[in-house]
Amino acid sequence: MDTLNLAEFEAEPSPKGRASARAGTRDSTKSRLLGRALLVPVLVFFAILNVIPTFWMIGLGFYDYTLGRGDPKFVGLDNFVIIYESAEQWATFTRTLFFMVVAVAFEVGLGVVLGFLFWGSAKMPGRRLALTLLFTPMVVAPVASGLFWKLMYEPTFGVINYVVDLFGGQKIDFLTDVDWVTPAVLAVDIWMWTPFMILMTLAALGSVPTAELEAADVDRLSFYQRVRHVIWPHGKFILMLGILLRTIDAFKTTDLVLTMTGGGPGNKTEFLGVALYRQAFNSFDLGRSSAVALVLLIIAIALTSIYLYVLNLSRSR
Amino acid sequence: MADIRLVGLGKEFDAGGVVAVRDLTLTFREGSTTCLLGPSGCGKTTLMRMIAGLEVPTTGKIFFGDEDVTRLETSKRNLGMVFQYPVVYRGATVREDIGLPLRVEKLPAAHKAARVDEVIALLGLEEYANHPVDKLNSATRQKVAVARAVARQAPIILFDEPITNVDPDFKLQLKRTLRELFSRLNQTIIYVTHDQTEAMTLADDIALMRDGSIEQMAPPRDLYGRPESVFAGWFLGNPGMNFVPVESQPAVAAAVLGGAVPDGVTAVGFRPEDVLISSGGPQRGAVEATLGHVSLATGGQHLARLLHADLVVKAKLPWDSPVATTRGSQVWWSVPLEKVRAFDRHERAVNLVSAEQ
Repeated sequence: MDTLNLAEFEAEPSPKGRASARAGTRDSTKSRLLGRALLVPVLVFFAILNVIPTFWMIGLGFYDYTLGRGDPKFVGLDNFVIIYESAEQWATFTRTLFFMVVAVAFEVGLGVVLGFLFWGSAKMPGRRLALTLLFTPMVVAPVASGLFWKLMYEPTFGVINYVVDLFGGQKIDFLTDVDWVTPAVLAVDIWMWTPFMILMTLAALGSVPTAELEAADVDRLSFYQRVRHVIWPHGKFILMLGILLRTIDAFKTTDLVLTMTGGGPGNKTEFLGVALYRQAFNSFDLGRSSAVALVLLIIAIALTSIYLYVLNLSRSR
Repeated sequence: MADIRLVGLGKEFDAGGVVAVRDLTLTFREGSTTCLLGPSGCGKTTLMRMIAGLEVPTTGKIFFGDEDVTRLETSKRNLGMVFQYPVVYRGATVREDIGLPLRVEKLPAAHKAARVDEVIALLGLEEYANHPVDKLNSATRQKVAVARAVARQAPIILFDEPITNVDPDFKLQLKRTLRELFSRLNQTIIYVTHDQTEAMTLADDIALMRDGSIEQMAPPRDLYGRPESVFAGWFLGNPGMNFVPVESQPAVAAAVLGGAVPDGVTAVGFRPEDVLISSGGPQRGAVEATLGHVSLATGGQHLARLLHADLVVKAKLPWDSPVATTRGSQVWWSVPLEKVRAFDRHERAVNLVSAEQ
């Protein structure tokens, strides 16, 4: 530095402008009102497309109403009693529960492991490309995925049976064999939704403050101690949200199964969503199908409540 | 115990776009407390993070004693660190939290428990010992973090602005605790802060940083009394030094220096509290000025602005000063020569005795 610039050491703070503060308050009131006005169209659409149909469905559940068979007749709780007493309905429920538990368990397990691996390899070359490729199944429509996998599983010219044949194995008709159909559908669901759990795991890990992770390094914490005292307390909310969303989604799996198996062979893959679809759009029994839909809704609400309860419990500890 | 030696240490971010630390060579004395002081963005936190192993230096080496730790990972550096954000390990009690870093040490359990109890007592955390850390206020959390760093008995402890994120009500309490703690510990401590009062009260040495370089490293009293640069004189003190540029105020500079201005001196500096003011008429060697705005400064003193042509000199007056504090009144000011610092065109201090010779 050749010349002294003492002026830079003489800086003084400038006074705050009160007038600009008042103008700021007026602006914020305006923008709040504008924000609310912009919400109105969304709320109207939400009411027309969600709220009214839901109440309509709840009402229909108490009627005996089949399209083309005359006017609806109020039957009280009859539809629910029939569902409760139907062995077939209970079998469907158990099947759905099994599918949900196995699918979610694999998706969460694989998603968390892969999420941790991707998190720990931030400087790996090609990481972004690998993540993009991994997320592809999640963004493909389930109907497209179902058709695509149906072709893959095809016994005559499907690529999976080609590989089985290549290794000298016996060709398997995955989608009509009662022993293979459930694992085959499960595999596709896991393929589709594990990336979602990877994403949620990465988001959960991203929510952990860097200072805490660095402190864990300084303090030489083991992997278990890091997970227990640093990662889990911060990441659990996002991770639990991911598990909840997957649980509800797996519970109402319909489109994938319909395109792959149509609920068959027999009713081996007839889950609640598929049964509901068949009752509503094959038999046109709107009363009974509305009752089944209401049961599904109650189960979804129950699962959400359990999630919120668990979260509140851990927060209050 | 170990000293910390930095040799030609540098750190660049964005492939040379931002230089955070420039070619530093210095030693933090074994068993001393050194405050890294400087304005925000001067590189002090980056420097500390490199010492901790949380940033990799672009150039240079770091030694703990004789051991080169430049590429050694954080967990193997054997140091304690207290972060700006009060880090506690959720789901643990205070006692468990403090004991977590000790789990890897090959010591009898009773020995570890005794160490934890000792630091709990040292930091006055007895009443919280079995409380879950999640429920504590920010200051107590930070005390737990300090206790955890101390319990390890690592030869080096790093503090990264530990008071900044603590609730204002508890700052003073935590500052007092740290002051007491530092007087008892004999580890090598580096403490990052931008608060000069904190640095003045806690440090054995202060390393003043600016733009990634060490401006001056000295004990607090020396740094304040004998700043080696214009920046050091300006940054320390509230307000900082007065500077009289020789080029635009040659007569004032000469009056302050009590004679001719030596060659090479481009500015003279002196502290506001060293300015002597008289309202009793012209005096030999004193500069005439008009009294400007007078406000109340810290410690119940008056801070007066003395106006002399374009020059503004800040002066601190005792609250009961006999000098009239009426705005616009004529006063005469001077500074004892031993309190004056002279600076060259590179903004570095000039030794007045050798300059005169």
